[in-house]
Amino acid sequence: MTDESARILVVDDDVDICHNLTDILSDLGYHVDLAHDGHSALKLLHQSRYDVALLDYKMPGMDGLTLYREIRKRHAGTVALLVTAYASSATAEAALSAGAWKVVAKPVDFGALLQFVEQAIHQPLLLVVDDDRDLCANLWDLFRDQGYRVGLAHDVSEASEQILDSRHRIVLIDMRIPGATGSDVFRMVRETDPRARTILITGYRAEMDPLIDQMVAEGADAVCYKPFDMPQLLAKLGELARPHAEEAGQNPG
Amino acid sequence: MIDAGGLYERYKELQSYVGWTEEDARRVAATATLLEPYLYALIEDFYAEIERHPNARKVITGGAEQIARLKGTLTQWIRDLLSGAYDTTYVTRRWKVGLRHVEIGLEQVYTNVALSRLRTGLVQSLHESWRGAGRDLKETVRSLDKLLDLDLAIIEDAYQAEYAARLQRTERLATLGQVAGGVAHELRNPLNVVKTSVYYLVNARNPTDDKKTEHLRRIERNVELADGVITALSNFARLPLPEMRPIDLESMMREVLELNPPGDRIEVVLNSPPGLPGGLGDASQLRIALGNLVRNARDAMTQGGRLEISLRSEADRVVIEVADSGTGMDEAELVRIMEPLYTTKTRGLGLGLAITRSIIDKNQGTIQVESQSGRGSTFTVRLFAAPVEGDQ
Repeated sequence: MTDESARILVVDDDVDICHNLTDILSDLGYHVDLAHDGHSALKLLHQSRYDVALLDYKMPGMDGLTLYREIRKRHAGTVALLVTAYASSATAEAALSAGAWKVVAKPVDFGALLQFVEQAIHQPLLLVVDDDRDLCANLWDLFRDQGYRVGLAHDVSEASEQILDSRHRIVLIDMRIPGATGSDVFRMVRETDPRARTILITGYRAEMDPLIDQMVAEGADAVCYKPFDMPQLLAKLGELARPHAEEAGQNPG
Repeated sequence: MIDAGGLYERYKELQSYVGWTEEDARRVAATATLLEPYLYALIEDFYAEIERHPNARKVITGGAEQIARLKGTLTQWIRDLLSGAYDTTYVTRRWKVGLRHVEIGLEQVYTNVALSRLRTGLVQSLHESWRGAGRDLKETVRSLDKLLDLDLAIIEDAYQAEYAARLQRTERLATLGQVAGGVAHELRNPLNVVKTSVYYLVNARNPTDDKKTEHLRRIERNVELADGVITALSNFARLPLPEMRPIDLESMMREVLELNPPGDRIEVVLNSPPGLPGGLGDASQLRIALGNLVRNARDAMTQGGRLEISLRSEADRVVIEVADSGTGMDEAELVRIMEPLYTTKTRGLGLGLAITRSIIDKNQGTIQVESQSGRGSTFTVRLFAAPVEGDQ
């Protein structure tokens, strides 16, 4: 599990806090990168994708919320915790509207913070591959609200990058995306990450798209027709997101 | 609905074509009693032959009972043929034979050969029973031939008309199915966004006010997208007749580029030679047609590229060439690219180029496309040049 250990990004202009957090988290087995300002954090994002980002709200230059917006644009699947000494309800609301998961007040209660980190990492990671940005934004809101981490890919190159980078519990694939067909992405998932479950998204009905039947025969777990039946889709996600029986058996605890 | 009067007029026209006269009618009518004893054998032979041809036999689905009935019909058909009265009722009955053949799926070739066989039988019987002068027999056979040819012409005419009408109905249904599929897909995308946003607004645990506003705006935007799909479809369905006027092509192209900006990553070049004559057409329609070409060029160059628009004059035409350095198309795509509802993009109805072609057609112009996969595409539009002032 070494190359699959969770990656955490810590950004705080207070060097001491930063190092302390890094020490504690590294000691728990996480891979931790740190930065003291927004711009150097963005540089780290070029090389790495993070499961969790611990961001100080008030930093010189780029503030924590602006930094999170940048992170989300690149890696929507990163869960952000903003740490602030001035937790007014307005700043907290702005952070939550932007998609941050928690706003944590300083001084930080390390016990609580570590619990949040642990929880965030255990949220199942989904990937949505669809070029409709409005739909992606909606699914992000809806799936986050249900406690999933949600990565987004709008074309085939974004999709392949993330499929190679991260292990996903479920990948949702639109049948029509720029640069490829849904079946290309589906096969990429099957080859790279065979344990990931797959849900196909389509605006056509099965009788109009023979590819769908073929992919179901090849092992796609579900087909979801537009417009979505949300309760049904969420129930399906819940069912597929449960760890596989054999996986749980191999890695007890 | 059969227009019996119109049919009869047509029949009379065909009669005069083959030189049919009252004398012909009289001669044929005179054979009725001579041929009556042979009818049974002729009809038995007719159906025996059908039995040997599966493609003809398959349309008879009612077994022995139906064959007995058909034999009765054929007997009556020959008696009518030899009656000497070729009026509206007669012609209408012949016409209905052609309709019926389309209904039951009997190919016209079988009517042609079956009638030929019957004709041989009738002529042979006539030879056997003839007691008059050989010269009169020859004339009578000639009259019978004319009559059979006329019968065949009317039956075939009915067959073709009915067949074409049915084909058109089938094609219309197929197109409708295709349109429905395309529209369904294009409408389901915005509907899906609206539906998921509504679900969020109703069910999210702690949505902030900003979040609620964001989802309402998204709903509004996607309702407009759905409306745009319907607008595009109705624009395609009813394109008004163009108002043909002289157009300054260069300024029209500049407007088109302004309305459909290709974006920062695309270098745009507009070549317009001095003294270029104006084009003739409906500027408001042509702006749509050329706008589609510019937008397609842009969509083919997502990684940037060069859009070159060249205007030139060619005999009595003006030429607008729109060339991009984008993805291009392969042979298979090129053949279908102007079909309605065909698209190589992931979003869109696939009506853009079909609308463009239909506009250019109505403006008496032509459009051609050349393309190379990976190299880019060039669309060439030719319009009539506007007459120079004082020329007429």
